[in-house]
Amino acid sequence: MNLLKIFQTPPMDSQLQIVSGVPVFRECTRTELEALRLHLHERKFLAGEIVFDEGEQGEGMYVVISGKLRATRKGLLKKKTLGYIQVGECFGEMALLEAGPRVATVFAEEATTVLAMFRPELVQLAESRPRLGYKIARGVALVMEARLRRIAEGQPEEVAAT
Amino acid sequence: MKDEFPSERSLEHPIIWVAVITGALGSIILLNAVAWLAFPLVLAIVLYYLVQPLLQRLQLSGVTPNQALGIFLGAATILTAIASVTILPALFNSLADLQNQLPEYWARLQSVLHNNLLAIEGRFHFAKKAGLADGLQGQIDHFVAGSGKAYLADSILFLVHWLPSLLLVPFLTFFFLRDGTAFHRLILRAVPNAFFEKTLLLFDRMDGQMRAYFRGMFGLTLLDTVSLGLGLWFLGHSAGVFGFWDAMFLGLICAVFAWVPYVGSALGGLVAVATCAVKAPNEGGLLVSVVLLFLGVRFLDEFLYTPMTVGRALRMHPLITVMMIFSGGMLGGVYGLLLAMPLIGIFMVLGQMYGEIWFDPRLRARQQARNLLEKRLASKDLEL
Repeated sequence: MNLLKIFQTPPMDSQLQIVSGVPVFRECTRTELEALRLHLHERKFLAGEIVFDEGEQGEGMYVVISGKLRATRKGLLKKKTLGYIQVGECFGEMALLEAGPRVATVFAEEATTVLAMFRPELVQLAESRPRLGYKIARGVALVMEARLRRIAEGQPEEVAAT
Repeated sequence: MKDEFPSERSLEHPIIWVAVITGALGSIILLNAVAWLAFPLVLAIVLYYLVQPLLQRLQLSGVTPNQALGIFLGAATILTAIASVTILPALFNSLADLQNQLPEYWARLQSVLHNNLLAIEGRFHFAKKAGLADGLQGQIDHFVAGSGKAYLADSILFLVHWLPSLLLVPFLTFFFLRDGTAFHRLILRAVPNAFFEKTLLLFDRMDGQMRAYFRGMFGLTLLDTVSLGLGLWFLGHSAGVFGFWDAMFLGLICAVFAWVPYVGSALGGLVAVATCAVKAPNEGGLLVSVVLLFLGVRFLDEFLYTPMTVGRALRMHPLITVMMIFSGGMLGGVYGLLLAMPLIGIFMVLGQMYGEIWFDPRLRARQQARNLLEKRLASKDLEL
């Protein structure tokens, strides 16, 4: 038995590893991510199942753990595909700041697992751990800033602007 | 859709209203049926909401949630040990004194009642004809000699039966504080995807409603105790009726009575007036001053304290409030009186959200679509 193993930090949970790579949570430490884990809800969607509808009031954001999703928007004649959301990407993060209507419909292209985080829980978390709350809010702001910059430069709006 | 708090249109539906009232009253019956467990459970929930901000303060200073809970438990244990050494003996002494003085106070209360009724008889002929003073005295004597003793024995047995259940309170509170978030997640796991976001919102609102209510009630009780206690002390100390701590204790009792809206305040006022009448039967001016003090504090309650603490979250028509309180009292005794309002508040949020989910055709369609997808997936290789 290797006694040194007792003093080694156990490897991070595979789902948390994916979360740590998401731009919104990139500044969080491992301890903070583990505290955050209590507020992440795992949801499983079947292929073809809707995660949320365009126009529906948004309450939180999602991180894709496995599978693939598609974002669509109502067009003049038919639905327009905005793009696909893959493992390690997040969507719906605008709802972490304010309960506004969703700007696209997102549904699972194949069987998908996501981790969901909701605004009321983020607010609660930020009250007890303001540093973590600040990091997440800053993460969301940075994602928004990057998106606005791309739009200003004439590049197409990305899928995650849901 | 953009509103943080959606419109209350769903509550306009009569079925929802009936469900809200039935749910609240049904819960009172259920809680009363398992009262031995429900009493510590309700107390633990109240304590959970009161202690939570303290733990949050500790976490703000940089400790982890478990460390914060440990620090709190340590401090609570030390304080309990100190209190049991210092305060409890004094409290038991006071209770023993009170027990010795009770027969004298009882005799004085009867005498005050008798004298006042005699005065009424002297003024009104019909009262003299009815023999109010002697009639009431006869009833009291009959009650004390007969069923009064049985009631007393029952009440003592009731207390002996109930006190051990209080030992569950710290135990339950500890687990609420430690595992509350995990328990919350466990319940949410059972909610279908289509209703998940709305259900989470429902939980958040319910939690907010209960937190605001219990913390608000705690603040309101403190304010009422201080106002009534100081007022009673100011009015009574010159006549030698109240010491400072006696007045504060009486203020606390009246503030606790006031947890039951409308009815409780009146009952608290009666208790204070009866206490003054017993302690200083010849001070007519003092009785009037105490009544005025209660009216003043009631006024402050309505226009200053309640908006500052509990707010207007549970604001309902007074008729519905009183009807709910009396119905609660009939169905669940003291429990029902105390829990009728918080329960109707919770069921109002539940009804509102259930209405929003149930009457949303899109959410129901999404759930049906999910069921179809599941069915298709399960029968894919069956070639039906």
